[in-house]
Amino acid sequence: MSGDFSRRDLLHKAARGTVLATMAGGAGFLVKKANGQVVWQVDAARCLNSRLGEVGVAACNLCTTECVVSLSAVRAVNEHSRCGRCNICPAYFNITSAVDQRGLPSEKLCPRDAITRKPIGKADPEDPANNFYEYVIDEEKCDGCGKCVMQCKEPLGLGSIALKIRYNRCVDCNRCAISKACPKDALVRVKRMFA
Amino acid sequence: MSANTARTSACATWLFLLVTAAGLAQSIPYQRPVDTAPQEKSIGGGYRTPAVQKPLPRSSWLQLLDVGVLAAAMGISSWLVLKRRSRKALVALAIGSVAYFGFYREGCVCPIGSIQNVALALTDPRYSIPMVVTATFFLPLVMAVFVGRAFCGGVCALGAIQELVLLKPVKVPPRLDRALGLLKYAYLGLALFFVLKPAGGDFLICRFDPFVDFFRRTGPPHMLLIGGAFLLAGMFIGRPYCRYLCPYGGLLAWCTRLARRGVTITPNKELDCGLCVDACPYGAIEKMRAVRRNCLYCARCYAACPRDRKLVQLS
Repeated sequence: MSGDFSRRDLLHKAARGTVLATMAGGAGFLVKKANGQVVWQVDAARCLNSRLGEVGVAACNLCTTECVVSLSAVRAVNEHSRCGRCNICPAYFNITSAVDQRGLPSEKLCPRDAITRKPIGKADPEDPANNFYEYVIDEEKCDGCGKCVMQCKEPLGLGSIALKIRYNRCVDCNRCAISKACPKDALVRVKRMFA
Repeated sequence: MSANTARTSACATWLFLLVTAAGLAQSIPYQRPVDTAPQEKSIGGGYRTPAVQKPLPRSSWLQLLDVGVLAAAMGISSWLVLKRRSRKALVALAIGSVAYFGFYREGCVCPIGSIQNVALALTDPRYSIPMVVTATFFLPLVMAVFVGRAFCGGVCALGAIQELVLLKPVKVPPRLDRALGLLKYAYLGLALFFVLKPAGGDFLICRFDPFVDFFRRTGPPHMLLIGGAFLLAGMFIGRPYCRYLCPYGGLLAWCTRLARRGVTITPNKELDCGLCVDACPYGAIEKMRAVRRNCLYCARCYAACPRDRKLVQLS
């Protein structure tokens, strides 16, 4: 054993040392290069559904159909502070449907019925129907089809609804399937922002 | 002269206006001024604007937890196999890994796929990877240099799910086994070629990961079919993806050549009965000795060894 030790063992140790040193070098290089976590985000100014000027075209639902996780990692978010709280919300109602007896469109726009509408604030005694309304999008129901986003912008809406990534669902694919399909390259990788 | 100057200045003004107009057109802010939307005051009735859910990325301590779990699981795996020699405990670990790395983390980030990210980050100056990915890639390799493929046994979610479905192992003829084993190096080369090719890389390993769609419980039908076929074949042929296709398995096999320790067939105590050879579904025991580059740390040989069972009973 001791006679065998010198050469074989030395070579073995040298080889192992070299491999480990190479790995350490590679890892060091990568760590030095690493600049924090990078995550996917939807650029609202590029997204076909939310960008200005895209009016009268069908809403793009690639975020729903392309995402690799079961319920898309993209969903619509209503930024309440920017919401117009309209009585006839073009994102809540299908404004091309027939008007019912209440004077409101009879159909809803959301195919998954993910938006709820409730009157808020002080009621107007003269005209009780003339209220402000709060529109809340159900996280669990929304699959990011973008129909409401397309409607809530100029000229009808204020653009308070935008598509966003839910990071509890996003698995951060190497090549985000949505980004490959997106016609406007609206899915971008950005450095992680700490809130 | 003066008319000329006037014309020039008119041109300049037009140009200036055009440029500014174009500039303005480009810089129209997406956000409308907030005061057009009714705020709490104008809504009245004590209304409070509800908070908007801000999507936060997976927090960094949870990412560190992933690396910690990976390191701990590999430690446990090597301890269970090398010291405890317990197949039962290893199966429990495999179930845990499928649950955590598979169904909870939905198969990402895994060392197998990270080959591509590491290769791209090493060569492309504009691309970098988070430290978590670097650690995920190197930890199992370092482990392999010391104790062999401890990662493959009960830690890798792809390996573990195949380990769990292997019910009736059939021996693959050694020559065929060896020939098919070369496929993984071809696949490694192909994956590197596709990810490094200049006109936009494609991540083949992730795209054709046969089990990730099960972990995510959704996926394109052809991948679910392929995954199902691998699992079905895996009931009889021991871990077909690991042995014949896994490119990371190829890297690990190279690293195990330097390993000092690993699964050994009970030195100085064996009966030469050959039960372990029959028990090994991966053809990793040749001439009554474990072949480290093929050994996948499943501990079946220990479970089948009459001597070993006796030793465990005695201790």
